[in-house]
Amino acid sequence: MDSLVRLLWPEMVLTVAACVLFLLGVSRRAAVRRLTAVLAVLTLAGVFVGLLASGAGGALMSGQAVSDPWHSVRIVEFGYYIKILVAGVGILLALLAWPGNRQATGNSAMDVGQDTGEFFGLMLLSLMGVFLVASSNDMILMFLGIELASIPTYIMVAISRPLAVAQEAGVKYFFLGAMAAALMLFGFSYLYGTTGLTDLHRISQVFAASAGGVGNAPVLSAWQVLAVVMLMMGFAFKMAVVPLHFYAGDVYQGAATPVTALLSFVPKISGFVAMIKILYVVGGGSWVVPEFVTQILIVLSVLTMSVGNVLGLLQFNIKRVFAYSSIAHSGYMLVGLAALTSSRMAGSDEGLSAVLFYLAGYGIMNVAAFGVLMLLPAQPGIAGMGGVGAGGKMPPATSAETFEDIAGQGRKHVALGLAMAVACFSLIGLPLTVGFFGKLYLIRAALNQGLIALVVITVINAAVSAAYYLRIVSSMFLRSEPQTQWPQAAKPADECECKGTFPIRLAVGLSVFGVLLFGLVVPAIEMLSTQSRAAARVDIPTSVEPSTASALAR
Amino acid sequence: MHYSIVLLLLVPVVGAIVGALLPNARSAKWWALFVSVLTALVGVWMVAQFDWKQDLSAVPAADRLAKSVQITFTPGFDSLLHLEAIQFSFSLGVDSISLWLVLMTVLLMPVSVLASFTYIKERQKEFYAWMLALLAFMLGVFVARDLLLFYVCFELTLIPMFFIIGIWGGSERRYAAGKFFLFTFSGSVFTLAVVIFLGLAAGSFDLATVTQYAQYGLTNSARIWVFLGLAAGMAVKVPLFPVHTWLPLAHTEAPTAGSVILAGVLLKLGAYGLLRLAVPMGLIGPTGLMFPTVVKVLAVLCIIGVIYGALVAWVQQDIKKLVAYSSVSHLGFCVLGLVALNDYGMQGSVLYMINHGLSTGAMFLVIGMIYERHHTRDIHQLSGLAKQMPIMSFFFVFFTLSSIGLPGLNGYVSEFLTILGAFTSEHLGIGYGIAAAVGIILGAIYMLHMVARVIFGPLKVPHVHEEAGHKPLSRDLNGREITVLVPLAVAVVLLGVLPTPVLKSILEPVRMVRQPVAAQMMGPRVETPAQVAMAQRP
Repeated sequence: MDSLVRLLWPEMVLTVAACVLFLLGVSRRAAVRRLTAVLAVLTLAGVFVGLLASGAGGALMSGQAVSDPWHSVRIVEFGYYIKILVAGVGILLALLAWPGNRQATGNSAMDVGQDTGEFFGLMLLSLMGVFLVASSNDMILMFLGIELASIPTYIMVAISRPLAVAQEAGVKYFFLGAMAAALMLFGFSYLYGTTGLTDLHRISQVFAASAGGVGNAPVLSAWQVLAVVMLMMGFAFKMAVVPLHFYAGDVYQGAATPVTALLSFVPKISGFVAMIKILYVVGGGSWVVPEFVTQILIVLSVLTMSVGNVLGLLQFNIKRVFAYSSIAHSGYMLVGLAALTSSRMAGSDEGLSAVLFYLAGYGIMNVAAFGVLMLLPAQPGIAGMGGVGAGGKMPPATSAETFEDIAGQGRKHVALGLAMAVACFSLIGLPLTVGFFGKLYLIRAALNQGLIALVVITVINAAVSAAYYLRIVSSMFLRSEPQTQWPQAAKPADECECKGTFPIRLAVGLSVFGVLLFGLVVPAIEMLSTQSRAAARVDIPTSVEPSTASALAR
Repeated sequence: MHYSIVLLLLVPVVGAIVGALLPNARSAKWWALFVSVLTALVGVWMVAQFDWKQDLSAVPAADRLAKSVQITFTPGFDSLLHLEAIQFSFSLGVDSISLWLVLMTVLLMPVSVLASFTYIKERQKEFYAWMLALLAFMLGVFVARDLLLFYVCFELTLIPMFFIIGIWGGSERRYAAGKFFLFTFSGSVFTLAVVIFLGLAAGSFDLATVTQYAQYGLTNSARIWVFLGLAAGMAVKVPLFPVHTWLPLAHTEAPTAGSVILAGVLLKLGAYGLLRLAVPMGLIGPTGLMFPTVVKVLAVLCIIGVIYGALVAWVQQDIKKLVAYSSVSHLGFCVLGLVALNDYGMQGSVLYMINHGLSTGAMFLVIGMIYERHHTRDIHQLSGLAKQMPIMSFFFVFFTLSSIGLPGLNGYVSEFLTILGAFTSEHLGIGYGIAAAVGIILGAIYMLHMVARVIFGPLKVPHVHEEAGHKPLSRDLNGREITVLVPLAVAVVLLGVLPTPVLKSILEPVRMVRQPVAAQMMGPRVETPAQVAMAQRP
């Protein structure tokens, strides 16, 4: 029991904090409800610092896997890296959702009178789900983790705005998410049916036994192939990978902007973590997976990048643009996974470290982009909100969503404009930003495996994506502000926008700092890439794990 | 240790940051001028430090290649910054080719800044900050000794230029800026893939190591990909014929200073990239794959650019657009000389880069001065300016003559050399030379045609309502504008009558660039994972 606490304390802290937040959220006193946001951020910060400290302590970062007696949890550096990353980006996301100013956040759940406690409780639970996926060594726990990461997001989407579009988005997201969960369960059940095991580590040993020698790919039966394909499709939904990307545009647009920022990171990373774990299992405890898995990954990555970027070009709503950009970025990261699995050399996990680096970079730059959107006011009368508000009332003033909204804002708010420019240039992958090194590592990994065609497609996509990111930058800086008449009822957000937006500004500032730090300062880049390389060494030789023998004996 | 080369980058970078924080526009412009002049002085200091007499033939063969990629200004900076994970190091160096280009850049920047004093009326602080940032990135390309650093600077020049065109440009500025960015970026992402591939395969991004590796370590199919990737990025930047369409628009819409830098320096980055990467790697040249065909294709594209650019320039109504199309034509000569791959052609090509920067930059400056006074560049609305603006007309005609290659001025030397190179080249020959010579004649026709219409004839200028709040400019050029043009005019004459020192100094580096190093001279082959992976592929 003691070991379980030692292993799972971050998850436990988050769960307890979430429950406390739910309780505080029903309090009648506004001051208490206001406290929930502070508590959420403090909890995440505590977990972040605690993880960093225990990592620095070295006991768990020694390269050895640590398991609990039941083998449902198995923690390696990979899991630590993911947790630190999620906690760190989680702080930024919580800051974005700060309930200071409803006009600035465009999020009515953020109105202190409403569901603040629930909102932050759900957010912590969702992050906790990713933590569980990262620790899990059991398919049931993994499934629970993925669903725990997703289910709160369905609610968060629906309660984020008192608008029909938000509810519609929530319902759409829920149904499609349920379908993905069904696919996933289907896959897990076949995996269980063919092996009789739920312990992922032991399943990987079963697969390894079928490979007939180190360096050979396991031989999968037809049912197992079906299971793997189902699982990949289920994860594809979480990662917003084509062909299961359909929800992205509507859901991202319908949700309030801070929720959209969360959606583009948390479910995605849970999908990637699960995918990586399953790939490792399918490879029989190595990255040497059957050929068809690599081919699926390559096809998915090409489709995802291309569809995401081409559709991104056609959008008028910036949140939709970022939805498709999020799809495209999943495609780039799949390039890393394809490189990882097409390696035939032991210990060549460059693709994985590239993906881990990219996940970190994407998380940071994404927060910056969404944060700037939240700080800019919407133009009145433009259908960013999907028309009529709830109860026939004027929709609440909200944050910028369309290209019209941000036109000329870069001149008015130079700092915000520059922050958006940095975020967009990083998403394009221009030098001096973390996005450049992210792309560099991915391309390098793919080239190292000789995936030249894939690299060519990737760079073509990078060029295509430049068009819509540039459109955002050029709207902000090169266009003049449209001369709209503000109706008397809705005052321009100019007067109130500095009030209560400090946390959002802080989040934007921190993430822009991060984008530049990891793109400009050589020791910082070095640090992050070393960390991701260390975390990528998931394949610990089974001999160093003390409990394996007893586990097999049971 | 030579600090000058670090200062060369540091001064404009710090200048740009400080300039962006200055309190008012007036101090920003003087600050930008001060910083760009300071950078120019650093450039002069580099010239003083440079070891011009270095005898390359005395260098052992194995070191030659490294020497051809960089000479002097050495090491010490190798360890300035080093990114272990990808073998990137922040190392700088110049040889005489890049030193001359650095000099041209640091000369053009102060004059463009000075020329913008009255032209740029809004958001001046930002403008000058972007200009200084641009200066740093351009110089970075010329002094990079690391392939990744080269690429990073090459790519970063896009951002300041995007804003300079997009914010301070003409009426079509947003479209022009977007087109400029997307064209160039689309080309150069392929270069990025190649850069990463080469760095990975060679195990380092050091330019000398990479070049050495690329000469003998690549398989044939890899050579094709590497060549195509490099060519994609560089050809758009130069620009060569089918991908030149961003240029006229960007040049026309950019503010004067932007056009000067765009034509003067940014286009040269493409040609310089070919010279610095593709040629020494043996991708263009006798060791290249499909040797004569690739070179011939490039030469034909250049010739098409020369003739087509000239013909299109001929029919332009907008004098700035005319000069922009003339750049397409002129850069065709420049690359033609490069692919001639002999002493004449390549020396001429390097000299052409400098000369085109000077004379076309100056043309854009003069046109900007006309535009500031008459608010039009339409060839039909302007006529007989010589009567009203004799000083301006002198400079206009002078730089036109330099541009069309009047003997005694700089353009003549480089045009002559590039065409001579094409004639005497083993693989190009007479046909190419004749075609290029036709381009010269056309060049004279369209430029003189414009001069005759705009400068001479009866006086005709459009009536202009002066904007309130701005002091109207004097009728003819004022002291500041003359100060802008005189240094360029002096350089034009100097390079026209006394090109020998430049040609002499670049002769050895140019030879080094195109001499492949025999494989047996090099050390044992380094097997990297990429090579193994390549070898294992069917």
